[in-house]
Amino acid sequence: MKKNLFMLLSALAILSLALAACATPAPVAPTAMPAKAFRIGLVTDVGKVDDKSFNQSAWEGAQCGAKETGGTTKYIETTDPKDYDKNIAQFGDEGYDVIVTVGFALGEATIKNAAKYTKAKFIGVDQFQEKPTAGVGGLIFPEDEAGFQAGVVAAMMSKTGQIGAVLGTDVVPPVWRFGEGYRAGAVWAKKDTKVNIVYHNDVGFDKTFTDPEWGKTTALSMIDKGADVIFGAGGKTGNGALLGVAQSGKALAIGVDTDQYLTVPEAKAVLLTSAMKLIVPGTCDMIKAVKAGTFKDGNIVGKVGLAPYHDTESKVTAEAKAKLDEAMKGMAAGTLKTNVAPAKP
Amino acid sequence: MTSAETSSPSGTASTFWQAITRTVLIPVLAVFTALIINAFIIRISGGDPILAYLGLWEGAFGSPKAISETLVWSTPYIYAGLAVALAFKGGLFNIGAEGQLSFGALVAAWIGFALPKLLGTSLPWIVHLPLALFGGIFAGALWGAIPGWLKARTGGHEVINTIMMNYIAVLITSFLLNGPFKDPNPFNVTARTPSIAESARLTPLIEGFRVHWGTVLALVVAFAVWWFLWKTTLGFEIRTVGANPDAAKYAGINVSRIIVLTMSLAGGLAGMAGAIEVIALNYRQELGFSVGYGFDAIAIALLGRSHPFGVVLAALLFGAMRSGATRMQFLTQIPVDIISVVQALILLLVAAEEIVRFIYRIKAPKETVVLTRGWGG
Repeated sequence: MKKNLFMLLSALAILSLALAACATPAPVAPTAMPAKAFRIGLVTDVGKVDDKSFNQSAWEGAQCGAKETGGTTKYIETTDPKDYDKNIAQFGDEGYDVIVTVGFALGEATIKNAAKYTKAKFIGVDQFQEKPTAGVGGLIFPEDEAGFQAGVVAAMMSKTGQIGAVLGTDVVPPVWRFGEGYRAGAVWAKKDTKVNIVYHNDVGFDKTFTDPEWGKTTALSMIDKGADVIFGAGGKTGNGALLGVAQSGKALAIGVDTDQYLTVPEAKAVLLTSAMKLIVPGTCDMIKAVKAGTFKDGNIVGKVGLAPYHDTESKVTAEAKAKLDEAMKGMAAGTLKTNVAPAKP
Repeated sequence: MTSAETSSPSGTASTFWQAITRTVLIPVLAVFTALIINAFIIRISGGDPILAYLGLWEGAFGSPKAISETLVWSTPYIYAGLAVALAFKGGLFNIGAEGQLSFGALVAAWIGFALPKLLGTSLPWIVHLPLALFGGIFAGALWGAIPGWLKARTGGHEVINTIMMNYIAVLITSFLLNGPFKDPNPFNVTARTPSIAESARLTPLIEGFRVHWGTVLALVVAFAVWWFLWKTTLGFEIRTVGANPDAAKYAGINVSRIIVLTMSLAGGLAGMAGAIEVIALNYRQELGFSVGYGFDAIAIALLGRSHPFGVVLAALLFGAMRSGATRMQFLTQIPVDIISVVQALILLLVAAEEIVRFIYRIKAPKETVVLTRGWGG
């Protein structure tokens, strides 16, 4: 056996040498970049840069940032959570100027590596910073404003004057802000709108975001009672609500976080819009801030907005569009406040 | 699986070279051929194969840190590969390493984070660490024993049952990580357990690198599995049942007992893979961890010819490819999935070794075709 082993080892060694030999003549351009170039690295959460969700948006943001700053950008797709560290280090060791890490799960690894690679600035997409860390900017979003905009459109589009929202538990602050923002927006747009908001508080944390069945039946019962626009927010539970609306076909649905026209194709026909976190401009702006030297540690509040109407475009009235425009302008100017508490009191 | 390398008497030179051909040459040529074919795939998809392989090599062995990361990736592959290989030796197809692994990780993590709270006291590491490790091993063994018992008792085929057990384990894990075991930190939104206590953690081997004692232990375990299979009576019985259960029964071996034992040991090894990942590397379990180790392990066992030392080498190869993939993607921006393509090609070429023999004009051995027990077995 010893001999066999030796043979295998030497064969492997020869193979690797051969490989290395083939490889040497190749120009090793990417590593020998001039030090002045502004370089942006992006590490995805487990998933791909074309996932139609956070990873993709952040990658588009990084590309935008590279374009705006005249820099270059590369990504590494994580295949296993244990590689978070290693993948970040890949960019850190190369002396990248900006490292974008996507998603809450990379929060710890990001903070850890920020201490190690002090030259780089870290952008943590959707990573709320409990306390500021030098070199780390957490890109977070005002969910209440996104909910507010959704509420405005919902109220304007409702024919019955009744709208609903099917949400995960309000113990999670972002969900609460989405829901209460929605209520505030609806009432601001049309004072006597009846807003029926149901949080999935009756189950544990394990179930509240992963209960599409409940989301669906709740949405259907709201439609039965006369609601004709339903906002679904809270992971699979929220997606279940969109599916419920699609099943009934008698109401319109509003999605959350990203453009759900792309992520829940079953609901395409009834999906009015989605209350989006605008990750692309958020990431892009933070990269520009690094280049300009105005980058700040701690939480950076990004922008939110509504997704395109897609198939329901023809149904959206000019009146509704005008009202939404007014709300967005008001919020941008700071004259219109949602008055939603950061978390459930 | 095959038993050529074990049964061939080391006498004449020709049998020795035949053994070399079967055990070493074919896998090496399979790897080589797969890399060549894959180079064309990279080329066609618009990448630079030379730069890609250079990156793969650099990322896997280019620096002490790269070697450390390769070992980190190889470690669970060694344990899980052994889990499949040991079952192969006993004539059993253990598709369930994935589930056994995730269950082992789950129990090790629970012992790591919850037990001290449950007991209301912190444990000394000398108690806590082994408890977490053996808890994980035991959980994996239990998960392997069930399909083993079903096979021995009812004849239910282990392929079907281990696959089913995978679903059960993965879904239970998902439920627990989203629910009772979820990290209660209010800012946490991911399905993961809290961090395990310091007393349940295995320390890194070298300061500043992530390679840990679990890697050393993996080599020890590989040696132990070899010793067990070839130097003990029980190991002999396992191999005999694997080679021919009827003959084994005739020779007075309790086949049912051996089947359950083989599956328990295999499950224990897979459980150990999961437990080590938790106590030595991640310090917690989270969803998405270990996706596919158990399945890659089947390829590793095949490539390693179900021999413990072959498994170690195959695991190093797979670990190197997984680990080097980061650097490869960094340099070329081609999808990391290309690594899965190489692995699939290797598996294909090893399983259908006639292709390799045909390409390189290697004569097939004179001996009769290896008996692999099929679905009825």
